[in-house]
Amino acid sequence: MDLLVNSVQSAFLLLFSGDPELLTIVWVSLKVSGISTVIASLFGIPAGFLIAYSHFHGKRFVLTCLNTLLALPTVVIGLLVYSFIARRGIFGSLELLYTQKAIIIGQVILIVPLVTSLSIAAISKIDSRYRKTALTLGANQRQMAWVIIKEARYGIGAAVIAAFGRVIAEIGISMMLGGNARGFTRTMTTAMALEYDKGEFVLAVALGLTLMSIAFAINLLFHFFQGRDAIDVV
Amino acid sequence: MLYELSRLTRIFKERTILDLEHLSIEKGKIYALTGANGAGKSTLLTLLAFLDQPTSGEIRFCGERVRYGRQQLLHARRRVVLVDQYPIHFTGPVWKNVEFGLKVRGISKKLRQKRVEEVLERVGLENFPQADAHKLSGGESKRLALARALVVEPEVLLCDEPTANVDAENQEIILNILEGINREQQTSIVVATHYLSQTRRLAHHVLVLEHGSLSETMNENIFKCERIHKEEDFLVCRVGKEVDIRLACNQVQGLEQHCRIHIDPKSIKFLARDAQTQEKNILTGHIVQIEQDQDFVRCTIDCGIRLHAVLTMDAYLQQQLMIGEKRVFCLPDTSILLL
Repeated sequence: MDLLVNSVQSAFLLLFSGDPELLTIVWVSLKVSGISTVIASLFGIPAGFLIAYSHFHGKRFVLTCLNTLLALPTVVIGLLVYSFIARRGIFGSLELLYTQKAIIIGQVILIVPLVTSLSIAAISKIDSRYRKTALTLGANQRQMAWVIIKEARYGIGAAVIAAFGRVIAEIGISMMLGGNARGFTRTMTTAMALEYDKGEFVLAVALGLTLMSIAFAINLLFHFFQGRDAIDVV
Repeated sequence: MLYELSRLTRIFKERTILDLEHLSIEKGKIYALTGANGAGKSTLLTLLAFLDQPTSGEIRFCGERVRYGRQQLLHARRRVVLVDQYPIHFTGPVWKNVEFGLKVRGISKKLRQKRVEEVLERVGLENFPQADAHKLSGGESKRLALARALVVEPEVLLCDEPTANVDAENQEIILNILEGINREQQTSIVVATHYLSQTRRLAHHVLVLEHGSLSETMNENIFKCERIHKEEDFLVCRVGKEVDIRLACNQVQGLEQHCRIHIDPKSIKFLARDAQTQEKNILTGHIVQIEQDQDFVRCTIDCGIRLHAVLTMDAYLQQQLMIGEKRVFCLPDTSILLL
């Protein structure tokens, strides 16, 4: 118990002292997760719209696949991407392995199904009269899609926040594809694992507290959006 | 001709919702589209608005066959606007909602501002440009939907039950707006309605839909009846709980136990108190409503069922009908049609 209390006290001191190593780790984590969330949203939201508004054979199968991909372990994605970008892989010449780009690729694969799936759910809830109204008022397909996405913005926002929360807390992809290089690909989760291995609990606890604070802020945002949606429904 | 529909069908899940042999709609006129629930009114409006495609048949719009390619549809849709029975507004203020149609057409901001101001004034919402569109009352919401449609100055305005679920004041405002834009801008209007008595005031033509097809008869004075017994040369059928109507046997061969009849409102004849007549169907009822309908007078009689009679102005003045008065009237054989 003393160990934990002492670690928490030291962690707070480290956090408020603005330790450069700690700040770099936090910055790398936020940057990598932020970029992968943006890329995944750019793919996932339009894909969600297309799937929600299209009628095609095998739509149910696509939805089942997407839901299955939500449970995909990060280490499986790490292995898969590794096999492509390792020196002997198809994209080995691009020298992506153990870079932030490699982590971003893996994280995008991890959360595209999540953003798509939650976007489908949010867009499907939107009243079909919005589509009809936009079209009869002269909107083309792109303008109509924008109307629907705007009306579903709370649900889609919640999807993006959930995806960010998923990537910032993952460790498998960051460790396998990033390599945990200090000041370069070391993220909060990989640093915590390393510090734990070394028996250095102070930095690990400080990072844990930071991660928890970010997760808490994300959840606050998530519930804020959910709450707004609930009010809208009422 | 504005629209010409020929051999048009719309089938949903093996159920024929609409089956029209031919329908022509003239430019610059107001059409009232009436019929029972499920008669196909909303489906027809959706087809006329190019928001749906017929299962078979052809729609010609301004002489050209409608093609359902993306660009052709967009071009056609920008000439026609459908106002839904239960309009839904985009999240945001009234102004943004009205502006939408102009914005998607790429109209300049200056012209948008002018047109939105004009149309808000026309529908009486000029004091609420910044009000949340989702927080308007039922009547205001209908007027906003109308404003959103009128701002793009469509050639054709299709309204699905524009006066349903609103108070009398708002109904009057909405009907006056429709009448005004038809008169001033020669906008062609098709109004689907159950409130035929209101819409008749402004409609140049009335279209009656029954089970997806155009009907010659109005959807008023249509009753379910039950065969009771046979008397000499006619069958006695009961309408409602207590009204017996006699149908000539030669007219009703093969009549089933339950059937439907239509009584032509123009054929109902009021009788003088001491009049002698050979008619089989002589009924007595209270006059509960009298209203002018262009050159005619419509009269509603409560005789156990509510019957509508239509009289010429001369006949009305001659009969001296009064609300609340008990009058005797007859239904000539030719006025009753078995459906």
